[in-house]
Amino acid sequence: MRLSDLLGADVVDEAGNSAGHVHDVRLVQDGPLVGAFGASLRVDGLIVGRRSIGARLGYERGQMRGPLPVKLVTGWLYHDGRYVAWDRVRAVEEDRILISGSADDLPQPGPSS
Amino acid sequence: MKRLFSIALGILTAIGGFVDIGDIVANAETGARFGMSLAWVVIVGVVGICLFAEMAGRVATVSGRAVFDLVRERLGARVALVNLVASFFITFLTLAAEIGGVALAIELATSVNYLLWVPIVAFLVWLVIWRVKFGLMENAFGLLGLALVVAAVALWRLGPDWGGLLHAATHPVVPQGEGHPTWWFFGIALLGAAMTPYEVFFFSSGAVEEGWSRADLITNRLNVYIGFPLGGLLSLALMAGATLFLEPRGIEPGHLSQVALPTLLVLGKLGLAVLLVGFFAATFGAALETGLSCGYSIAQYFGFQWGKFVRPADAPRFHLIVLLSILAGAGLVLTTIDPVTVTEYSIVLSAAALPLTYFPILVVANDPDYMGDKVNSRLTNALGSVYLLLLLVVAVATIPLMILTKAGS
Amino acid sequence: MSGRVLEAGLHLLDRQLIDVDGRLAGKVDDLELELPPGGGPPVVTAILSGPGALSRRLGGRLGAWLEAAANRLRDGDEDRPARVSFAVVKRIESAVDLSVAKRELETNRLEAWTREHLIGHLPGAGDAPE
Repeated sequence: MRLSDLLGADVVDEAGNSAGHVHDVRLVQDGPLVGAFGASLRVDGLIVGRRSIGARLGYERGQMRGPLPVKLVTGWLYHDGRYVAWDRVRAVEEDRILISGSADDLPQPGPSS
Repeated sequence: MKRLFSIALGILTAIGGFVDIGDIVANAETGARFGMSLAWVVIVGVVGICLFAEMAGRVATVSGRAVFDLVRERLGARVALVNLVASFFITFLTLAAEIGGVALAIELATSVNYLLWVPIVAFLVWLVIWRVKFGLMENAFGLLGLALVVAAVALWRLGPDWGGLLHAATHPVVPQGEGHPTWWFFGIALLGAAMTPYEVFFFSSGAVEEGWSRADLITNRLNVYIGFPLGGLLSLALMAGATLFLEPRGIEPGHLSQVALPTLLVLGKLGLAVLLVGFFAATFGAALETGLSCGYSIAQYFGFQWGKFVRPADAPRFHLIVLLSILAGAGLVLTTIDPVTVTEYSIVLSAAALPLTYFPILVVANDPDYMGDKVNSRLTNALGSVYLLLLLVVAVATIPLMILTKAGS
Repeated sequence: MSGRVLEAGLHLLDRQLIDVDGRLAGKVDDLELELPPGGGPPVVTAILSGPGALSRRLGGRLGAWLEAAANRLRDGDEDRPARVSFAVVKRIESAVDLSVAKRELETNRLEAWTREHLIGHLPGAGDAPE
């Protein structure tokens, strides 16, 4: 599997409702040891949202402070981000990721750094 | 003392290196048709380029990475690819225009048709990039470019009505017989010429080439804030020259010789010779910069080794791209398309793509991951945001105005 | 329990790869994820770099064309993109630092080819910048 298979995929719950598209994948460094790197990166969950432009700018989750207009615009665009922990993922298909439970029942992502 | 010398050198190089064929053509054509009524655009453009060049230089100095390098990291592969394609195409067009400009300058000096000079110029541009040390290359052509000051000297010797010129510049009025859309279109072209995208890529990659570090942040600021405005004054001198000599005679400079006319008439053959050295240095220097920038942009997007700071054999794809770009640029000029036309298109399209270039710089300069404590100040961000809005408006207006005014003819 | 937390797109993707000598070695174009045999969430096992990897990110017709071109340029039957195992990743900061030299990476093929067949033949190619 590749990361690009996950990014942008439509996240769909048991009832067939879409929770949005995968904007990013959260990784935690607590997997099996690998070479000089140490613990490898394990997928923790998916950050999901409705729109997909500019999610990479890092305003809503990183430490970017300005410029103010950009921060405001991206804040408005991404206020509805949700987090899907990996244990809720049931299947990864061609362009979709099926999750258990309901799309309405997902927590907010919270800061990552 | 040595420090003072190197700062002075940096500033002088920035002044001499500011003007390229786009500025020469834009300022002369605007002065001939609209007098000094669009001088304010040059000022807006210079302030803009100072703002963003300082940012781009600071990004490279603090993070050790060139700005285009970071654009893909911040915007993602797909958006940055659009940015790359647009920027590369415009930089390539500018490269072709500069090669044509060098050939035209030599034609003026030798009366041998410019087309015959194109292959030689292309070879020389490549050879200098291939062999000459980066710092030497920049300083040599930057200092030689100072010869353009003779245009300002000619202006001063003429003893024109400074009050009148100043009044025309500060009270912009569309001259009789010209339409408002055309006036705005020329304004956009002037802005595109002052703020061409390659300048920031080159400036930022150049900071990495020369190994600038935090200690050089002050030098970076001095070069930009003193050097660029003075370079802008040279542009205005060309505009004023055209206003005083060409506008009253109704001459539209479609040829470099007409741009040189004011200097020739006031200072004679000697003045003309110095001016031609200036033209040559400005266009050749810009050809070097755009040639390198063609390589920088592609290499930095894909992440392969770039730069003159490693052996050519260690950056083969970079050098291949530079070589092919120069060949293709020369090829374009050899199709006998008017180099001045190529120049006009390159500056207008630059104007249309400015937001694409400058938005990522503004974002990257705010990222503490790259910049540490040297992120943008509130003032810089405020000014940058205002400019971005302005550039968006300009970008949207460019193509419609171009069609409406039939490219200003 | 907790190790460092990263977001793949924000902190890893499209980052510059820098080899042990400080040379630029490509970008993180994609990541290889493997499901561990004992179950559980996937683990990042390698960085994928080069046109074969970038093609999937770009998607659409452009991506398909790029992938086909990359496969033509590969010798052998392998249809997979150049892979940099995570075992040779030294550190992830604003760029990704590797613990090996460029020439040992699969991503170096195109660069080496250009050097051997084209640029290397020009006089002065091997001269150190003064």
